Amino acid sequence: MKKDTSKISLPEINFDTPALVRHRKSRAVGERLTAWFVGFGGISVILAIMLIFIYLLYEVVPLFRGAAIVSWIQDEQVRDSYILQDSVHPSIHLSLEEQNTVALKIDRQGNAIFFNAVTGQIRNRVLLNSPNNSSITAFALDTDASHLFALGLDNSQVLIAKHQYDVSYPDDARLITPKIIYPYGEARVDFGADFGALQRLAISDQDNTLILVASNTEQKLGMLVLSKEKNFITEEVQLSPQFYSLPELSTQPEYLFIAPDQHWLLALDRAGNLSLIDIRKPNHTRLASVHKASRGHVTDAALLLGGASLMIADNQGYISQWMLVRDQNNDWDLNLVRDFIASTDSPVTNLAMEHRRKGFAAVDVDGVVSIYNSTASNQVLSQPLHPGPIHTLVFSPRANALMVEDKQGALRLWQVDNQYPEVSWSALWKKIWYEGYATEDYIWQSSAATTDFEPKYSLMPLSFGTLKAAFYAMLMAMPLAICSAIYTAYFMAPTLRRKVKPLIELMEAVPTVILGFLAGLWLAPLVETRLAGIFTILLVVPVGTLIFAYLWSQLPKTSRWQLPEGWDLVLLIPLIMALVAVSIPLSSLLEDTFFSGSLRQFITYDMGIDYDQRNALVVGLAMGFAVIPTIFSITEDAIFSVPKHLTQGSLALGATPWQTLVGVVLLTASPGIFSAVMIGMGRAVGETMIVLMATGNTPIMDVNIFEGMRTLAANIAVEMPESEVGSSHYRILFLAALVLFMFTFVVNTLAELVRQRLRVKYGSL
Amino acid sequence: MSPTRQPKISIKTTERCLQPLVLSQETIAVEIKELNLYYGDKQALNCINMSIPRHRVTAFIGPSGCGKSTLLRCFNRMNDLVDLCRVRGIISLEGKDIYDRKVDVAELRRRVGMVFQKPNPFPKSVYENVAYGLRIQGIRKKHVIDEAVEWALRSAALWDEVKDRLQESALGLSGGQQQRLVIARSIAVKPAVLLLDEPASALDPISTLKIEQLIHELKDRFTIVIVTHNMQQAARVSDYTAFMYMGDLIEFGSTDDLFTNPHKKQTEDYITGRYG
Repeated sequence: MKKDTSKISLPEINFDTPALVRHRKSRAVGERLTAWFVGFGGISVILAIMLIFIYLLYEVVPLFRGAAIVSWIQDEQVRDSYILQDSVHPSIHLSLEEQNTVALKIDRQGNAIFFNAVTGQIRNRVLLNSPNNSSITAFALDTDASHLFALGLDNSQVLIAKHQYDVSYPDDARLITPKIIYPYGEARVDFGADFGALQRLAISDQDNTLILVASNTEQKLGMLVLSKEKNFITEEVQLSPQFYSLPELSTQPEYLFIAPDQHWLLALDRAGNLSLIDIRKPNHTRLASVHKASRGHVTDAALLLGGASLMIADNQGYISQWMLVRDQNNDWDLNLVRDFIASTDSPVTNLAMEHRRKGFAAVDVDGVVSIYNSTASNQVLSQPLHPGPIHTLVFSPRANALMVEDKQGALRLWQVDNQYPEVSWSALWKKIWYEGYATEDYIWQSSAATTDFEPKYSLMPLSFGTLKAAFYAMLMAMPLAICSAIYTAYFMAPTLRRKVKPLIELMEAVPTVILGFLAGLWLAPLVETRLAGIFTILLVVPVGTLIFAYLWSQLPKTSRWQLPEGWDLVLLIPLIMALVAVSIPLSSLLEDTFFSGSLRQFITYDMGIDYDQRNALVVGLAMGFAVIPTIFSITEDAIFSVPKHLTQGSLALGATPWQTLVGVVLLTASPGIFSAVMIGMGRAVGETMIVLMATGNTPIMDVNIFEGMRTLAANIAVEMPESEVGSSHYRILFLAALVLFMFTFVVNTLAELVRQRLRVKYGSL
Repeated sequence: MSPTRQPKISIKTTERCLQPLVLSQETIAVEIKELNLYYGDKQALNCINMSIPRHRVTAFIGPSGCGKSTLLRCFNRMNDLVDLCRVRGIISLEGKDIYDRKVDVAELRRRVGMVFQKPNPFPKSVYENVAYGLRIQGIRKKHVIDEAVEWALRSAALWDEVKDRLQESALGLSGGQQQRLVIARSIAVKPAVLLLDEPASALDPISTLKIEQLIHELKDRFTIVIVTHNMQQAARVSDYTAFMYMGDLIEFGSTDDLFTNPHKKQTEDYITGRYG
């Protein structure tokens, strides 16, 4: 009804009173403040994400920074080369101590000279070979870490000694006292007078046995096995030697190495013939194999840290890495793992091994030093260091200094900055032939019980695990979430929808740690014991539901009308419960008939498929549960917000509701459904607690649904607390985080682009 | 909606029923007998009796909320989609009650096409919009669909404007073109009756003119029922006009008759603009 407006006149309103003007002004200020505040909030969000990204980059970038060798600077003074006083003979061994303050030079005369590594000031001088009735003909070092060395004499005797550095703090200043000690006594061990002068020597000291191998002038090899007997009272170690002769070689060996397990002897001659001698049984030593191990003449050879790999440098500029590998018949043999090619074609003259990493340095005839990492198979650095040939090159224990001795005996200490040599593109993403493995493989193993192990930082198993977990979760969640969203938005009665939708969205409120806990401790054992039951349910419930739906549609309409439209769902609840109840006895029947009583046993023993209790199936179920509400909610909104006039337009054309759904509704909602799937995917990729607790965290690459995996997120959670801050491991974990971040970022950006395109194409009016 | 689910609601008055106008010289396409419609407890249509002549344009006029759109939506049972909407009475299309429970609603809607107030092309290409109705009927042959699409677009006077952009999105057309596309889409499935629910109210005057010309051309082949606010439009395009007020059919007659010589005072008040 219209009001009679004729009796009411418009009141006199002045819109320009000072109060109203003030009100307008304050309104404008408020408007501007709000705009500013909203803008600030938006920019802060972007900034926060940028900061996370920048911080990750900040932690990761040092990994890819190159190495550098620079002059040693001490007391603001560049330290140049020096010549040791009263030391005219070239060294047979050079060594640096932990702090790079004291160095040791042993020369052929048996002088062990401790001196200041920076200045060359002599600290201590010990004559090893006294009484001086014989000359030193061979030198052998056990390992860099043990500091134990042996001097071979021309009278077939061997002197075993060790250099040691005692640290004390008088007057609150560090004082390092270097000395030579004789852990097995000053008495020499003897290869026997008829063995003659020792040409080359190798030593290996283990807990129970010390082994010495020597060659004499007649190309013969002899082995002294010294069993240790510890005196319980004095704690002195007594050695009881036993001599064994070894198989004869055709050439004079230039380098002798004993593998740390004392099972193998490696002998290399100047021409590059590498002989492998089995010394597991000292009475029955045998020549296992001979390989041509270099392209030209061997110029230097050394065992890499851990003694599992032998690096052989030749005069063609190659450095070859040889490793003991076990073949299918359980026989060991030496294999060429990889070659390093020096940047120049000039011959490599010396090798220097890092003491605590699988890295080494090589120097060529022109004095160009190159630093490599064997695992990453990369050249970290190549830099001319000395104008001319070098006599000796050694690393400091921490690999932060190099000591160079030239042909004239001049020594110089260089500072090395090479913190992250183990990282390269191939080390992270390609197959690597690791020490002790039969072939190349993708392996993640960041720590081990020993300090000389080879860290394996392949991100492939982790990325694969991430995608595998996400795949199985999406396999479970996508059909359920999308189909239920379609039903809820399009078919369900509005009253029921108002109850069901919040209920499903409430699933998201369940903390994932609880889901992970339940999955790991309740679901995983349940799935293992009731494996057949789970599969029967997965089979029977959908098929049973479809059969029921068909029968329902065939019922006379009068009985169907007892149930209001859109309430059909209510019938499903008892139906699914009944189907599950039927599945359990059915599954034992099926198991007994087809799988000889136990599907679990059948899978493992008859089909030969590995089964972990915490596997992708469990993760799929648990993480699927976590992802469902996300996908459901967004899909439901997308379908529900398809404009009614489009649905009506389709229905008015004579389309059935189902045709309208497929032809118009899903098409129009497709951008929303797509982003729902992508957001769900992002959730599944980044999810941590569920995969942490329910996957077993085994970094393996296998699509098998019955095996576990380790995801990037779980890996970070597991290893970050135990990684050393600033180490390669630490930074690689940040790199893993960056990969995860980039992954979700790229996926989301692509998804958004696709969604925008879809929206332009299918977006509603 | 089924008879079993309808609540017992007494029909208020039978004396309000207007006896149907006898259209002796016309063939009857749709016949409405004692049609009552309720939204929940509220009665929205009161005992409508009328006949819609075949291959003529029938206009429903009346003020907002008088029930003209509701009545229109009864013809293709679009009211079924409205919650709590109940219908009693008979609407027969070519002699058969469309509210019979044996009726296939989807097939009914194919035979009774409908165009809405707001253009509602699907987010598909122009071609696919017109082909949609044929595809849902199960027609697969491409040449049949091609011909039908061209025929429908030509009939809707749109062919010349869109023949070069058939594969482009229909959402890129102007509002008037979209509305004619929707009409083309509706007539492509060869309906008997075409319901137009204020088809031009969202369009500019030139597009409105085109729609009105189109209605004029289409009436030889289809029975057209148009709901409109615009009395001039009703006078221009229709052969018969029904005036409704507050859920009642007040007067129904030939357009010339109704506008020049209304029988009821309410009709006269409305067409002379005394309320509206």
